[in-house]
Amino acid sequence: MPQTELLETALEEARAAGYIGRNVLGSGFDVDVLLHRGAGAYICGEETALLTSLEGYRGEPRLKPPFPAVKGLYGKPTVVNNVETLATLPHIVRNGPDWFAAMGTPTGKGTRVWCMSGHVNRPGNYELEMGTPIRELIYEHGGGIWKGRSLKAFQPGGASMMVLLPEHLDVGLDFDAIAKAGSMAGAGAMMVMDETTCIVDVARRLVKFFEHESCGKCTPCREGTYWMANLFDRIEFGEGKPGDPDLLLDMGYNIDGRSFCPLGDASTWFPRSVIKYFRDEFEQHIVEKACPFRGEREAVA
Amino acid sequence: MSLRKETVAMIREYARRYPSAQSAIIPALWAVQHEQGYVTAESLAEIATHLELPPSLIESTSSFYSMFLTRPEGRHDVVICVNAPCGLRGADEVLAYCERTLGIRAGQTTQDGAITLRSTPECLGACGGAPMMQVDHRFEENLTSERIDAVFERLRTEPAPHEVVKPKAVAPVKGEKARSGVEGARPRARRTQK
Amino acid sequence: MAVVTDQVTLTVDGQSVTVAKGTLILDAAKKLGIEIPIFCSHPKMEPVAVCRMCLVEVEKMPKLQPACAVYVMDGMVVRTRTEQVQRYQNGVLEFLLANHPLDCPICDKGGECPLQDQTYTYGPGASRYDFPKKHFDKAVPLSDKILLDRERCVLCWRCTRFSAEISGERELALIQRGKDTIIGTFNDQPARSEYQGNWTEICPVGALTSRQYRFISRPWDLDRTATICPGCSMGCNVHADARHNRLGRFQARENLAVDDGWLCDFGRYSFPSFQREGIERPRVRRDGRLEEVSYEEAMAAAAQSLRRAGPATAGWASPAATNEELFLFQRLLREVLATPHLDHGRGRGEAATALEPDDAALPIADLERCDHVLLLGGQAVIDAAPVLHLRLFKSERKGVRVHRVDDARAALEAVPAEAQAVGIVSSLGRKPEVDSLQGKLARKVKGSVRRLLVPDGPNGRGATDLGFGPGRGPGYASLDGKAGRARPDWEAAGVRALYLFEASPLHDFQASGEEREWIQRLETVVLQRPRPSPLDDLAHVILPGRAFVEKAGTVTNMEGRVQRIRPAIDAAVVRDDWKILQGVAQALGADWRYRDPDEVFADLSRAVPAYRADRIGERALWSERA
Repeated sequence: MPQTELLETALEEARAAGYIGRNVLGSGFDVDVLLHRGAGAYICGEETALLTSLEGYRGEPRLKPPFPAVKGLYGKPTVVNNVETLATLPHIVRNGPDWFAAMGTPTGKGTRVWCMSGHVNRPGNYELEMGTPIRELIYEHGGGIWKGRSLKAFQPGGASMMVLLPEHLDVGLDFDAIAKAGSMAGAGAMMVMDETTCIVDVARRLVKFFEHESCGKCTPCREGTYWMANLFDRIEFGEGKPGDPDLLLDMGYNIDGRSFCPLGDASTWFPRSVIKYFRDEFEQHIVEKACPFRGEREAVA
Repeated sequence: MSLRKETVAMIREYARRYPSAQSAIIPALWAVQHEQGYVTAESLAEIATHLELPPSLIESTSSFYSMFLTRPEGRHDVVICVNAPCGLRGADEVLAYCERTLGIRAGQTTQDGAITLRSTPECLGACGGAPMMQVDHRFEENLTSERIDAVFERLRTEPAPHEVVKPKAVAPVKGEKARSGVEGARPRARRTQK
Repeated sequence: MAVVTDQVTLTVDGQSVTVAKGTLILDAAKKLGIEIPIFCSHPKMEPVAVCRMCLVEVEKMPKLQPACAVYVMDGMVVRTRTEQVQRYQNGVLEFLLANHPLDCPICDKGGECPLQDQTYTYGPGASRYDFPKKHFDKAVPLSDKILLDRERCVLCWRCTRFSAEISGERELALIQRGKDTIIGTFNDQPARSEYQGNWTEICPVGALTSRQYRFISRPWDLDRTATICPGCSMGCNVHADARHNRLGRFQARENLAVDDGWLCDFGRYSFPSFQREGIERPRVRRDGRLEEVSYEEAMAAAAQSLRRAGPATAGWASPAATNEELFLFQRLLREVLATPHLDHGRGRGEAATALEPDDAALPIADLERCDHVLLLGGQAVIDAAPVLHLRLFKSERKGVRVHRVDDARAALEAVPAEAQAVGIVSSLGRKPEVDSLQGKLARKVKGSVRRLLVPDGPNGRGATDLGFGPGRGPGYASLDGKAGRARPDWEAAGVRALYLFEASPLHDFQASGEEREWIQRLETVVLQRPRPSPLDDLAHVILPGRAFVEKAGTVTNMEGRVQRIRPAIDAAVVRDDWKILQGVAQALGADWRYRDPDEVFADLSRAVPAYRADRIGERALWSERA
């Protein structure tokens, strides 16, 4: 069932039970929840783009300052919360902040849901205490690398985050620790790659994603992601040129920190990190004029 | 003017639901797509009229988002995610299998008009169930050839979603003006319950 | 204790500068003469920081900051030419040019293109982009006025923001997203805005160009003349650009008090009406046929015929004639021919409505400082002076309540008693209603009530000020019972000779059918006009004169601002109109010895002290009237 319908049903139930609407549970307090459906734009995860979209415009981010808490939806102070925050809230309310803070590490309290994808035996969503070693997520909860293969690399925080290697498996799942290891915990999406993975191809797909999702507002993101996608296509498909990895790095310099919002910046992080760790694979693609991993693709199960 | 009375009523209701009629653009586009299966320039102009906004604004907004179709396609919309997490679990091969099975390329519609096949680099949000496809906005995860075959079999005979259920008029809301929108949206949710 | 001040001091490239709070880094740098390159930024639009060309280093901020959108703070240290900034500027220009067609050799913008200029100054010598370029539609006709080249577009949003923030029409919009983003109108329908020419001027590349100017000239081949738009009584300041003595275009020449930097399409694209096709000689009708003669012969012939008619002569002047010409012409008629029959009313035999100085009491720019403005007559008033709409829309954005009303009663109701400053804007034809409304409003509201009426023609205001009408002399002087008759009454008044002075194809005599029949019966018709006229075959003497864009002098706009016009093209042997008027007067025995229009103005100024040679460019000072 599409999520909108699930949510509408839940809201109806809440309304029927008197949890929302007029005079909530006889308290004299009115509050209601309106479900406003988006229409396909990753950029609307950026809080100001979300507000712009709610106002009916193209989901383009706005200048900050003013921040939404000062001037947000319809120019009014607005709190923007992620689903993750809202989902955690009832448990904290029910069990108390001390209960929540007792879990996790001193710098990362409580729990977090990790969405694990890629080459593990049991992909899916796992809620773990902050600080749990990455090794435990992948090997215990995820059942280890599929097909008895070994781990090549993983991306710990979602589509933009820098790649990490097997040597980082004992890093704890919390913001500080992952940052110290050279990546970010970001959105909590853990993508696992086995030894047969073409890292160039993974980066290519991610860059094409950012190219597709760039709103087009600012020059570096609009033009840069398009150019990077072209470069990744040609490297992956055996037409890369020797200077391409360095060109990609230089484009990272011109996009990261220069874009209007973090989408453009973030589009460069994974590519740059894989060039750092797997430069030889780029060279191999270019020299051999083909993807060295092409033969190892999965067939449809 | 080609929109049904019920759809127009919904659009007008959306306009009342927000502090600014402009916020009703996306809900209005959904209502039109729900009725017709896609959103034409004529419908954009009609939305503009009902919301009392310049039509350029409606087109500007609708063309920004990837989920509004602009022309009639197959009865069913099948989208294969080929972003990295799905790619790692065989999305390219799933796409190739679908193309082979349906005898069309991505972007095309089967001869009988049943299925339009597309692929997208846009993450559809089911990485844990990769490889996946989205069929008329519903997810099919952990795809295998049998599973894909079964889905296509079903789609061959099923009518398009917008032909199954027609939008209903927004229920009048008693005594509440400012909040009527929330209740007003209820029939939409109920309608799709099977 | 710190002194509270609304000034902040910052450092840009090592130089200290003090500016008002709320100043953008870009403008603070400009004050020091430091140029930061921009594309999307525009002084009249909200900052958007989309092109990312203006990024600079700001101490204590980790990322480069957009100078066009970040406001200064006390003690801020800005660096605009560091290695990091320069390397990035190379990069962003490489991005902008990656899919740009680089068709500068056939682009009308070439030579005055910010993208071209900034690429030379800040850009890389070569591009590393070696893929086939993205292709978009080129030379898309957005309307009958504008072509859009979507490949050249750098998506700076200036035109779409103009459409939203300056004209409010929201006709141009961004369509699609990301790398596929384009600008366009809804469903590619032809654009209908009256302000499209402005899009071409604010476009920082060659994406939006005027169809009229297509392939006409390179900017460096143009002779540029600072003058006034002949379109209407707004008096927008323009550059008239000519090549090889042919007009190529009008461009805005910003005057914040008048046009705020914008033009309407009617005015901007009116210049082809002024193209001179060949040189004419004066003609005199002999035995029913017009024969070419010298100016001296023609002026003598005109004088001879006019002398016969004397006080039975009527004189008509176009409201596009200069103040100097109008002053001389009214002298010729009143002093030399002793006739009181003067008029400048156009439109099928209509008399000009008599204006008063108070009809210009509300300066255009003060519309922004009213709290309520009544636009009595709505769109009809805007049609008479389209740039007024831009000023009114700007005023509305600043919080002014603009009421577009069609009748005076609704107007009176629209304004609350506590209003502080009320403005009435209407057309000349509604003067009686406006006068009565102003009286009622003055009794109703606490604050001031002022009015601004839109006269006909670029110098309708001057024509009235200088007494070119039957009822009042120069400077509204009383005629002591010697008032003449207005144009519709000339036949009844026994007028036998007519001296018609046309000055602009946009504001000519426009005879009605009845008038033509009457003119045909007159014993003398002297026609002084810049180009062939439908009245030629009724004329006994034709004196070729110069058009608005071919002469020097002054004109007065609707708010009473006396502005200079200058010849943008050389009409060669065609004589200046003031010289012709003086020649006819001399042939009638007058002892006039003006050597140039400035001398005429000096005389004019003695008769009308509100017009002062040292205040050209300012509004006439009627309060100082003797």
